[in-house]
Amino acid sequence: MLMPPFTLHHPSNVEQACEIAKQLLEDGQQFDWVAGGTDLIPNYKWHINTKPHVISLAKIEGANVISATEIGCMARLSDLTIANGAHPLIVEAASKVASSLIRKNATMGGNLCLDTRCFWYNQGEDWRRSIDWCHKADCGSGSDCRVIPNQNTLCVATYQGDLAPNLMVLEAVVHIVGPSGQRQVSIGDFYQLDGKKKNVLEAGEFLLKVTLPKESQQRTGCYQKLRVRDSWDFPEAGVAASWIAGDEKSLLIASTALESIPKMHDEQVSEALAAGWNGADSVKSLSVAIQKSINPVNNTTLTPRYRKKMVRVLAKRAIEGFLQ
Amino acid sequence: MSGGYKQQPSGGGNITRKDGKRVAGKQSFPPPGSGGSRPQMAKRDLQFIPEMVGGREKQPAGAHVHDRIRTGTTVGKSMKLVDSNAKVTGQAWYGDDVRLPNECVAKILRSPHHYAKVISIDTSKVEALPGVLAVATGQDSTISFGVLPVTKDEHAMAVDKVRHVGDLVACVAAVDDATALHALSLFEVEYEELEPVFDPKKGLEDADEPIHWRGKYHLAKTNVQKRVFQEFGDRSLIDKPSASNHNKWTMKGVHHGFTEPHAVVAHWGPNGRLQLYTPSQVPHYTHRALSTVLSVPMHQINVIRTFVGGGFGGKSDPFPHEMCAALLSRKCGRPVRITFDREEVYMINRGRHPSHIEVKMSADKEARITGFDIDALIDGGGFASFGHVTSYYNGVLATAPYELGSFHYTGARVWTNKPASGAMRGHGAVNTRCAVEVGLDQMAEDLSVDPIDLRLANLLPPHSRTISGFRITSNGMREALEKVREGSDWDNKFRQLPLGKGIGIGCGFFISGSGLPIHWDPNKFPHATVHIQVDMDGGVTVHSGAAEIGQGSTTAIAQVVAEVLALPIEMIHVRSHESDTSPVDLGSYSSRVTFMNANAAIRAAIGIRDKLLNAAWEMIGYHPDLLVLNDRRIYYKHDPSIGVSYLKALHKAQEDKGALISSGAYRSPPMGGVHKGAAAGLAPAYSFSAYVAETDVDIETGKIKCTNVWAAHDCGRALNPLAVKGQIIGSCHMGLGQVISEEMVYGRTGHLQNANLLEYKIPSVHEMPNVVPIIVESCDPEGPFGAKEAGEGPLLPILPAVVNSVYDAIGIRINDLPLTPDTVYFAIEKKMKAQSVDDPLELESPRLTHSAMQQVVVERAVQHKVRDIARQRSDDTSAYVNGVLFGFDPNIPLEDQVEGWRAATEPLPEQLAELGFAGKAWLKKEQRELEGDN
Repeated sequence: MLMPPFTLHHPSNVEQACEIAKQLLEDGQQFDWVAGGTDLIPNYKWHINTKPHVISLAKIEGANVISATEIGCMARLSDLTIANGAHPLIVEAASKVASSLIRKNATMGGNLCLDTRCFWYNQGEDWRRSIDWCHKADCGSGSDCRVIPNQNTLCVATYQGDLAPNLMVLEAVVHIVGPSGQRQVSIGDFYQLDGKKKNVLEAGEFLLKVTLPKESQQRTGCYQKLRVRDSWDFPEAGVAASWIAGDEKSLLIASTALESIPKMHDEQVSEALAAGWNGADSVKSLSVAIQKSINPVNNTTLTPRYRKKMVRVLAKRAIEGFLQ
Repeated sequence: MSGGYKQQPSGGGNITRKDGKRVAGKQSFPPPGSGGSRPQMAKRDLQFIPEMVGGREKQPAGAHVHDRIRTGTTVGKSMKLVDSNAKVTGQAWYGDDVRLPNECVAKILRSPHHYAKVISIDTSKVEALPGVLAVATGQDSTISFGVLPVTKDEHAMAVDKVRHVGDLVACVAAVDDATALHALSLFEVEYEELEPVFDPKKGLEDADEPIHWRGKYHLAKTNVQKRVFQEFGDRSLIDKPSASNHNKWTMKGVHHGFTEPHAVVAHWGPNGRLQLYTPSQVPHYTHRALSTVLSVPMHQINVIRTFVGGGFGGKSDPFPHEMCAALLSRKCGRPVRITFDREEVYMINRGRHPSHIEVKMSADKEARITGFDIDALIDGGGFASFGHVTSYYNGVLATAPYELGSFHYTGARVWTNKPASGAMRGHGAVNTRCAVEVGLDQMAEDLSVDPIDLRLANLLPPHSRTISGFRITSNGMREALEKVREGSDWDNKFRQLPLGKGIGIGCGFFISGSGLPIHWDPNKFPHATVHIQVDMDGGVTVHSGAAEIGQGSTTAIAQVVAEVLALPIEMIHVRSHESDTSPVDLGSYSSRVTFMNANAAIRAAIGIRDKLLNAAWEMIGYHPDLLVLNDRRIYYKHDPSIGVSYLKALHKAQEDKGALISSGAYRSPPMGGVHKGAAAGLAPAYSFSAYVAETDVDIETGKIKCTNVWAAHDCGRALNPLAVKGQIIGSCHMGLGQVISEEMVYGRTGHLQNANLLEYKIPSVHEMPNVVPIIVESCDPEGPFGAKEAGEGPLLPILPAVVNSVYDAIGIRINDLPLTPDTVYFAIEKKMKAQSVDDPLELESPRLTHSAMQQVVVERAVQHKVRDIARQRSDDTSAYVNGVLFGFDPNIPLEDQVEGWRAATEPLPEQLAELGFAGKAWLKKEQRELEGDN
């Protein structure tokens, strides 16, 4: 598999990165950001939405910082899996991503900005040509979505990152930089419901780091991941939960790998808490409510019907600790 | 002069300096010939010399014809494979490692359509592209080929039609990858799309445009490539069964998932000869196909087998891309390389057939198996490949290890517009075996007997004949069952584990080498030939065509030669890469290599041994019968001090002749029945295996985790126990993939959805159970030193063992493979609904209370054990054919004893209405019959 040629840029600080991005935008050149490359490069090898320029964040100073309150975009997942100050929930989630070999390269930023996935899309070029392309990578054909035909306005490819729901239940904030300056959004607002747009990053912007509030250190939690094999596989469904011991109102739950974006389940949680927390029964009804709130589609390995059913089990298991 | 030729100036001994470092040029083993008067000759290892010839090696199965040539050198000793250093240091040269001067690369244009006529191909723009060196299309060779001479339905590239997405249309050679890729986009091909067929059941129906056309032999206008009917035994026995079951299975197609993608380099040299480098399991078939397709005599082609990065049956066919490389090289006069990417590997496929299998079975009031009725509809994809054979194997390889009252099989293989299925480890036997073994488990449940005891009471003995006429020689089935029962603590676990934990049994039976060489008459030419040459240096060069594909065939051949000649294995050099220098060998398929090639190698080595012993006789005056070979020395049996070194004897033998040359061959004995298809499944020996698997089922998610496997395999004799254990563990991994996660997924558009190793889910190390390999040695009378196969048979039992363990864990039988979490979960949900249970954790797992029948089977098993030991040791040499268990006389033809005894290969008219899916193929008539009707 031969990648189409591209020019690789190596900025060594944020300012240089923004400058390169700005210049390329002004020149009308398309480009991608690359961190670890474990997501982008396979896509490039399959000739999926390749660009003539790629800006690497590998040499950005300080981008690999890891602490209890801050994780840089270049922090390697393998570094997040060992005791180094990161929140235990992040350590747990990072250690469940892909395989040990991929974690050596993959980064926090890359995982959050993971391209959405779909079995009509993550295929070689000849294959996609054979099905006459799809909406997400239509190669100028204006093709329809293959998952839900007869609608070509929304891409329903699935977001299959593991870290996002865990950062969500720790109330992380995403720091975005670009030629027009810095901005911050809560991670819950970072994602945008369209498998093609994926998130709120505008042209030229990249995700610099996430910060976690100090209170997050009081939180304990659990991440449940559904996959066929306990290595390599993306999540087919994932549920993260966190809480502050002894504080009933603190429960937060988020899910991933079920729709085009990871999702907070504040509504279902507050309904369950409002109804009066009643141990195992509440766990059950809350799990069912979360299950009802998501709508997976048929574009990953396991059937959407099954994935939806499993949300209940994963949610139940994720909040089992909350019971005690 | 003493000591003969020396390899090293100072002889053996000090190979390390005072500082501990090795001295340059010194060997770490004593030089050849040093055994003469030197003290470092290794002692004779009596542990590895059979009792029958004075050693201490136990022989529970009795003497073996090769006992007299055993020297205790290598046989039975665990050793690393002789090519392992090259592999672990990264120096093995696989297909894509071949780099020739001035080489260019080629890419293949593949069909975007499932099924279409190729109207025209315009190559003008491709040819005009700078950097393009040659272009070829189907019109460059319209001669068909195929791995089996009876079904040649492939071409180098599409001649008239493309038959699946990814089928080859054209190819182009260019100066580099980028140019070749660009060139592919410049082909202008006009297609006329045809109605594709994906569902094998639809393949049984008449089509407007069948995928292939077999002329007067074509079955109506269907897409049936092969149909089989076989019926043996007394069908009246299945009336009034005490237990019976009928299960319909759906097994998805699986791929070999070998590490190395296909790669080929073709070089049409300046002398007009073609050199083709390819990682092939069966270079000889490639050799033949190249000769046919290119219209070049075989002697003008040299096929060079590179190291093979995994084959498992998937590199057995001659492939169209090999023809493409050769055609392009002929055109441009430069070496041409084609390397597949993973998607192309799945496009050429040849994996296990997606199958619909129905199995009916019944037992009588004595718990004897009165009938197996099997119907197998297998999805062949776009080409025939090995399918003709697979169609038979799906039935006939279920005729043992059990004694049957009757056997009925209907099979059909249909063409569909998908990548072609073919041979994969456990060829044709795996899916049916799983269905049969799960059926037996169910039957034991219905009879309330232990499934292991049920099996032990129904086994064919050693030296017997199956219902379809296969000759069983050695048979370690009983011992395998007993060993896994003991190892797994079966009696304290079966039907006694808590919900979610289960234990299950499965058995296997497989051929050890196909008895019929596909391309020639076995009575005229041998299956395998090996040449040995020994020159003055004492090193032994073995020329063999056996294809080492990682299974250890080269090591096995080196081992048997080393054993016969009593030489260190480092002195044996096996040359097996080139067809120019290797004698013709059929290749690595049907688990034939160790059995056939090692037998040929032993015969060749005996030729050299005789020459050495005769020379020693001349030198020391003792007859060869009184001489002993041991570690580079030949000496008088009763006084080891009277002897001669190997090298001296060798040089004596070489006087006036030069290098010693010897040739050995193997051919299988005449055997088997005379009915149509009698040769399918016929083998000079069969392997047997029994596995117990322990599995955890997550009741809430349906995810299964096989935790422990006790795997007993009867390989006759383990020439290299380490390699046998490796094969057993590897087989468990591969078979487990088919049970828990692997499947080739064809989506609603008919496209293969998961042609990559992320979505095609081969189990990872996390899914791998703890496997306890148990070697059973039944010492086959015709095997090399008693050995039989260990490469394919060990895969069979893991599937049913796991499926049965899932039943033991949750009380649910699932007849769809793989048992993915969703499949298992919805089965659990169905059971919950049926039992009106809200929480799956409230389900109950099955329990067993023995019925009176248990005593019957246990007693019979005890008697049969005595019978089997006597037969295995040849204390009892009376005839035994399938049917004796039912009271028939083995010495009188069964049809003369039983009125209803049938041995048929075509259905009776009254049977047509009640045939299974595949059986429906018998409702159609061949074109020649239809013409007759008109």
